[in-house]
Amino acid sequence: MPDASGIETQAFFKTIKLDAIDDSLPQEIKTACGVDVETCLECGKCSGGCSNVRIFDITPRQVVKLIKTGQEKPLLAMDALWACVSCQLCGDRCPAGIDIARIMDYLREKAYQKGIKATRYQVQLFHELMLGFIKKTGRVAEGQLIIRFNLKTGRYFKDADLGRRLFLKGKIKPFSSKIKNREDLRRIFQESIEREEDQ
Amino acid sequence: MSTVKTALVIGAGPAGMEAAVKIGGAGYRVILADRADSLGGTLRQLCSSFPRWEDPADLIAYKTEQINKCPLITIKTKTTVVAAEKNGNGYLVTLGSDGLTSEIQADAVIIATGFELFDASVYGEYGYGSFDNVVNSLEFEALLKEWQENQGKTASPGTVAFFKCVGSRDRAKGLPYCSRICCMYTAKQAGLVKELFPDSKCYVFYMDYRAAGREYEEFVRSVIEQRHVRYVRGRPAKVLPEDGRLLIRAEDTLMGMPVEIAADMVVLAAAIVPGPGTRQIARLFRIKSDEYGFIDYNRNEPAKAGDRVFFAGACGFAVETLGAIQQGAAAAAEVIALFNQPNGEEKNA
Repeated sequence: MPDASGIETQAFFKTIKLDAIDDSLPQEIKTACGVDVETCLECGKCSGGCSNVRIFDITPRQVVKLIKTGQEKPLLAMDALWACVSCQLCGDRCPAGIDIARIMDYLREKAYQKGIKATRYQVQLFHELMLGFIKKTGRVAEGQLIIRFNLKTGRYFKDADLGRRLFLKGKIKPFSSKIKNREDLRRIFQESIEREEDQ
Repeated sequence: MSTVKTALVIGAGPAGMEAAVKIGGAGYRVILADRADSLGGTLRQLCSSFPRWEDPADLIAYKTEQINKCPLITIKTKTTVVAAEKNGNGYLVTLGSDGLTSEIQADAVIIATGFELFDASVYGEYGYGSFDNVVNSLEFEALLKEWQENQGKTASPGTVAFFKCVGSRDRAKGLPYCSRICCMYTAKQAGLVKELFPDSKCYVFYMDYRAAGREYEEFVRSVIEQRHVRYVRGRPAKVLPEDGRLLIRAEDTLMGMPVEIAADMVVLAAAIVPGPGTRQIARLFRIKSDEYGFIDYNRNEPAKAGDRVFFAGACGFAVETLGAIQQGAAAAAEVIALFNQPNGEEKNA
């Protein structure tokens, strides 16, 4: 049953015909990420320690399990893709050494290429704003980023108190510096755009 | 050279004691050496046992009496093996004790050097070595003994969480193998806590519980059903100090949901690994060890480690007390069969 955002939220309660699944998704992950999901012990240490699991709809362990069972659709549609902050605690603690953050990166890229966007938390906007700063100056101007993000999302005072404290401690600066060699930076962006167009 | 053959048994835990009793009982001399100051090995540290809640001290007392009754067995405690060289149909072994060395001629050797626990401080996320109330399973056995001795006089430990597979089944930072006995002793430990302190809460974090042994499944079920130990399927991710207690974060993998427990104590069932003594003995007698340092076995002669060298107990892989005794008896049978050859030669050598 699709929810307000059109995502099939009940997909997991349908019967999965296991014998009808080929191993193309695990193979794809193996080739793209160098990760063998068959080494997963299904212990859940990744999910128990995940720094953002409270806003995940699918836990890291379930992500690996869904890859094992070839369920690409829910993987590309999940919120967790955009709520994952790539802190890498999952992979660091994994007894099988599975780099789950790498898998998340790969799935995120794939979803993005398919035009699937984050449905919550304005993740898309945040990424675009942040990349915009990097493109311009080579650095992330946290102070300006927070202000721009909150202005665009209409939550003007969301981080006012935290921002004030960070500012007073010198953790965020009102103006950001620029890196010296911005020509190299321009080339990095240019090349990645070309590469994307090639695909 | 004496006509009565002598076997050297290295390690006086359940496997070594049993081997000594059987070889001595068959009429051969035994030198039973152990680095500790008394018999029993790691078994001495244990409080109760699975699957019958028997006191390990009774078993040690029983075997010690058998040994003491046998005039052919010489006990050498606080003794280590310093050197060994092939000498005719046996080994010339140098034993060290209190800085003094002595040489003995052994016609056969049984290695029963036991195990150690994996160093759980490898897992920074569990805080072993940093937080006082995070202990490994052998340290917890000592606590259990203390609580049992002072029953009724000790305050309840409150909430105790047991983590299984700490170092086991971990190819990233630990060992890929299953340490085999942790499922059972963890059930025993949690069950004991609930017996001593019925108002306490016990949680066991498990990936699977492996109860493949006689009366083992019934034992674990009884701990769950009669002693009300709670089993949570999932490997804990983090232990955080919070308000003087320990906050445990994990996923209940059956629900697929994150769970938290505020505990007063965390017990880590650390993996069973061979100790440095086993490695040293393996080098001295030039026998093969596997990649982890356990003495290697041969399917055709499972108690045999090398030329006139046999092994029993946890130095060959994690094993429970009963299994160690059975292996000790099997190694003794090998030695007795060897000694019974008309010219003392091994038939199948």
